Amino acid sequence: MTTERSAHDALIGARSPAQRVLGHLVLGLLSLFCVFPIYWLYATSLRAPEDVYQLSVLPWPLSTANYADALSKIDLAGMLLNTGIVAVLSALGQLLIALLAAYAFAAWSFPFQRLLYLMFVGTWLVPFQATMLPNYVLLARLGLLETLAGVIIPTMCSALGVLLLREHLKGFPKELLDAARMDGRSSWGSLWTVVVPALRPVLAALGILLAITAWNEYFWPAMVLQRSNAVVQLGLRSFLGTEGNDWGPLMATAGLTCLPVFALYLVLQRHIVNAFVRSGLK
Amino acid sequence: MTGTFVEVPVPSVAGAVTAPATRRSGWSTLRRIAPPYLYLAPAVVLLVVWTYQPLAQTFYLSFHSWNLVPTSPMREVGFANYVRLLTTSELGGSVLRTLAVIGGMLPFTVLIPVIVGLLTRRVRGRAAAVYRGLVFAPMLVAPVAGAAVWQWLLDPTAGVVNRLLGTELNWINTTGTAQLVIIVITGWHVVGFAVLVVSAGLTGINPDYAAAAEVDGASGGQITRWVTLPLLSPTLAFLVLMTVLLSAQWTFPLIDTLTQGARLVPPPTSTTCCGSTGSAATTPGSPRRPGSSSSWVSSCSPRCWRVWRIG
Repeated sequence: MTTERSAHDALIGARSPAQRVLGHLVLGLLSLFCVFPIYWLYATSLRAPEDVYQLSVLPWPLSTANYADALSKIDLAGMLLNTGIVAVLSALGQLLIALLAAYAFAAWSFPFQRLLYLMFVGTWLVPFQATMLPNYVLLARLGLLETLAGVIIPTMCSALGVLLLREHLKGFPKELLDAARMDGRSSWGSLWTVVVPALRPVLAALGILLAITAWNEYFWPAMVLQRSNAVVQLGLRSFLGTEGNDWGPLMATAGLTCLPVFALYLVLQRHIVNAFVRSGLK
Repeated sequence: MTGTFVEVPVPSVAGAVTAPATRRSGWSTLRRIAPPYLYLAPAVVLLVVWTYQPLAQTFYLSFHSWNLVPTSPMREVGFANYVRLLTTSELGGSVLRTLAVIGGMLPFTVLIPVIVGLLTRRVRGRAAAVYRGLVFAPMLVAPVAGAAVWQWLLDPTAGVVNRLLGTELNWINTTGTAQLVIIVITGWHVVGFAVLVVSAGLTGINPDYAAAAEVDGASGGQITRWVTLPLLSPTLAFLVLMTVLLSAQWTFPLIDTLTQGARLVPPPTSTTCCGSTGSAATTPGSPRRPGSSSSWVSSCSPRCWRVWRIG
């Protein structure tokens, strides 16, 4: 009996080697299924153009020709920059707006509080397809079609962020807020000097999650940016054709599209996993 | 923005920050009441502008015939759009396909995660963390990139799957396999997240229950069946709910890129229309949501229906 966890694990059995082997086998196969497409994506992208159709597991000789090809065909650097701008601004905007709203819910009680809260919860039930048409028309009226602002602005209010931050603020010790008030701080001041520092891990996790989601978003940018390929997800689309794809450059572009997210994941693994679990969605 | 934490109008909620009431002039009352609303204002305004107002507008448009071109007339048509939608011969099939996709997703969002969750406790330690990380990786792949690599894997002539199996199947464009392909790719995408949710749920279960059951002579299998799984049921219910609500949304970018990736620059109407009619056809029980007017449906339906007809 070392820890509670391992005590429980011991109870659900599986100390016998046979069962452990079975566990490794099943988990290994599933991991292979999950990782193989990603591996193959990068393997293909690193083959020399004439070797793209090879089946060898290890790409050899390595070649960056596909990447050069992709870079010459589309403005990949510009797209990555644009996508980065969208992801960062979208995540920061959502964080700020969600923080203010969650703070209001947590620090005061006021009339219509429940109703307003239900408004946020209710957005879960509104499918994207139900609102995109009027949103598109509204963007057109505002003259924001074909602009990055048009991609970012409609996503600014994240119900997920509000609900998540409110959950965390509910457990926030009110004594701290009281103390700040007695020190003569305004609510605005206490938000930034008391609440935000305490929430830093959650804010970081949520911010990463929102940035990744914005980075990977495809459908809304596809609507707003009909005539351009300003973000990478759309640039990728221009390589996809039914009459024979150019697989090498396509895989190189797809690989570059995923690379920042993978890099972020490797560096901030624990935060990201926490963010996904806590978010409860997507 | 200098509001202070002051007395709450209804001082009932536990933990609400209170302060002594001060003067009762109009200004101080305003200052007392306003702060939470001011903090909420940006979020609520955005919510109304980008979610609830469009929703209302969608309902409004659904009773009209209009092609969204400002110069063309807008006619009120009552329930004609709904009648048209409900009597479309394609509707029944697409609802059934949606149900099939939801059913097909459940193994990936519930069954496999539970098995993995139970098994990772057997392998333990670093190995378990590595497996979990690997299974989670597809979640990070952008849907379009995922669609691209799967299209490459399933390519009729040069794809790895066909060459390993020695077949020349056109997986994505063949009735029968197309739906399976959509389910497997979507499952590949979300299984890691479901695994994480289940592991979090399993970690939250108090080990004392299992200990008590063992004292009573229960075997490992019995503990899993009668103690662990019932305690995990809220997590499982959440996953089922999520699958039902989001399956259509998860599959949409995939279907869109896999089947019409060829189109170069879509005319504005086709994308939107596809979205609306598509969601109409795939949201069981609520065909009223998208308010695509009938002229839209007729003008670009072939493409929309093609998207949803695959499989």
